[in-house]
Parts: sequence; C-alpha cells; structure tokens
Amino acid sequence: MKTLPTLREKKRYIAFEINSENTIFRQDLVREISNSIISLFGDIGTSQIRPALMSFEGRFGILRCAREKTLETRAGLACINNIRGICVSIRVLGISGTIKGATEKFIQQSLIKESEPERR
Amino acid sequence: MSQFDSRFYDFLTHPDSPGQMAAEAKRYGYSGIVVTNLKINEGILLPDDFSIYKGIEIQAKPSRIREEIKKSKNSNIISIVRGGEEEINRAAVESAGLDILLQPLEFNNVLAKAARDNSIAIGFNLGSLIKLKGDARIRELKYMRTNLKHARKYKLEMILTGDSGSVYDLRSPREMVALSSLFGMTQSEAIDAMSTIPLGILRRKSPNYIQEGIELL
Repeated sequence: MKTLPTLREKKRYIAFEINSENTIFRQDLVREISNSIISLFGDIGTSQIRPALMSFEGRFGILRCAREKTLETRAGLACINNIRGICVSIRVLGISGTIKGATEKFIQQSLIKESEPERR
Repeated sequence: MSQFDSRFYDFLTHPDSPGQMAAEAKRYGYSGIVVTNLKINEGILLPDDFSIYKGIEIQAKPSRIREEIKKSKNSNIISIVRGGEEEINRAAVESAGLDILLQPLEFNNVLAKAARDNSIAIGFNLGSLIKLKGDARIRELKYMRTNLKHARKYKLEMILTGDSGSVYDLRSPREMVALSSLFGMTQSEAIDAMSTIPLGILRRKSPNYIQEGIELL
C-alpha cells in the first residue's frame, strides 16, 4: 500500500566526485561507504542515515541519505581515503532533493565547467 | 549559504609536489595553503588568486623547543608545533612567537591560559580522523573534545587543518565543517577556524605588522 506523503521518509541526493589514482569499482565503493559510515556512527546511526548508492560511473556518483542527516553523510564520505589500497578523496558537489536535480545541477555543470577552457 | 563565500586556508600541508597541491586546493575552494616542507623554489606555477605560504614544523626535545621557536619568531614563516606529551605542550605554549600548537594531548587549564597570553592558536588535526580507524580515531576524537572545551572556555583561537601529504588527503571546506561537527564544533566556529583566524595570523606575520594595533600602512 502507498504510504501517506507526510509519513514518507524524506531523502536527499548527494552528488559527489571521486578523485582517485586508479579506477574504482562500484561494489568496492558501496562496501567502503557503508564501512566508513558504520565505523563512524555505529549501527543505530547508519539505520537513521539510510545510505544508498543510486548511481556511479567511475568518477561521478549519487548517494541517497536521510534529509536530516546530510552533515553526517558528508563526514562519512570525507573519512574515506582508501578503497582496496587505492588512494581516493571524495568531494561533494552538492545536495539536491531529486536525482534529476542532482544530475543536472551538479554533475552536468561540473562537466561543462571542465570543457570550457578547452574551447577557448 | 553565504558563510562559505569567505576565503579558506589550510594551515598545514606537506605535499611532494606543491604545484599539483595548489591546483587541487584551488579547485576544492581554498585560497591559500601553508606548506611546511617547501624548498625555496619560486618556480611553482600558481593558479590565479591563490597563494602558498611558508611554514615550519618544529620538532625538538622539550628543552630545545623554546630556542627553536625563538629562531623563527621574527620571520614571516608560520611556526607549528605538533603537540604531544605535557612537557612539549608546556614548552610550546610558554614561548611567545609560536603560531599554532597542533593537537595537544592532555591539554589543561594552565596550558590554555598560557596559550591565551601568548596568543597561540590551537590546531585541530582533521587528517587524523581521515587516516585513522577504530581505537586510534576514538582517542583522537576524545582529545579533540577536551581541547575544544578548553578553547571555548579560554577563548583561544582555533585552526582546522587537514595535515595533508598528498592531494588525496585534501578535503573541501564543507567537508572539513562536517568532520569538525564529529567532535562537537559548530559550523560558524569551524568556518572561523579556516578563514578569519588564519587571515589574522597571516596579518600578524606580514612585515608591516609591528604590534597589536600598530601597523605600517
């Protein structure tokens, strides 16, 4: 049955960019994100944050989390510095209420920004 | 959020290639970094509106720390002591001329008062939160909480730094705010610790500065 809008769980989508030495695989990233958040906030905290990786294609990705817990999720992402021996740093591009918003506003924008200097 | 429009500084980096670090830091939203292992090479290609400052990390026995600090007192090099046992902290906070005492362990009210008298900023090393896991990180967070408590009570200046050795240790200012919230720092405190207080230290270190309130124009 459909839940009432007021009882629905509110969420935010975090668009992020990975800066890494080598290519990162999706499953490794998923494991590392949940490891990092669990070791920071414990099981109870993680159940409140409800992290879920929506999409990831090697460089940009979108992570879903609870609306009230964006700061904690950011901290969790910032604590990742190593995925299977590969040094990485994750930079949050922005936070949006919809996947479409996160993609259009942050991921496409940063791609456009990068391609601009080449055109000149 | 307009609070994030200010100029941000990372006060302790020791990269192998300062040029690459500078480019990356610029992209992450910083306007300047302090490099502690900088060799005198002016040939680094700097991005626009970005500056590298020279810093020194003083490592010595507690008995020698005072002399080492005295040496760098009147230069424009930013001096940092990595805090540790009580003796080192004591020697560091009691010698005027030091800029930052980074992550002191076993900080107490006596040391805090001395630090305030000599206007020494307390550094919080967020790099340790990124690099360490488990027990070690719990210990670091515990020390940071006590340091924060003392810094608030005695109105000490606070500095947030990433202690980054490569571009992969660097975090953007918003991430630094999120990391500092882990040990109870508020957002405005964290932003001050990366923008206004570093600017104050740089002003104090500039050659035109003579004494508090006296400045060459």
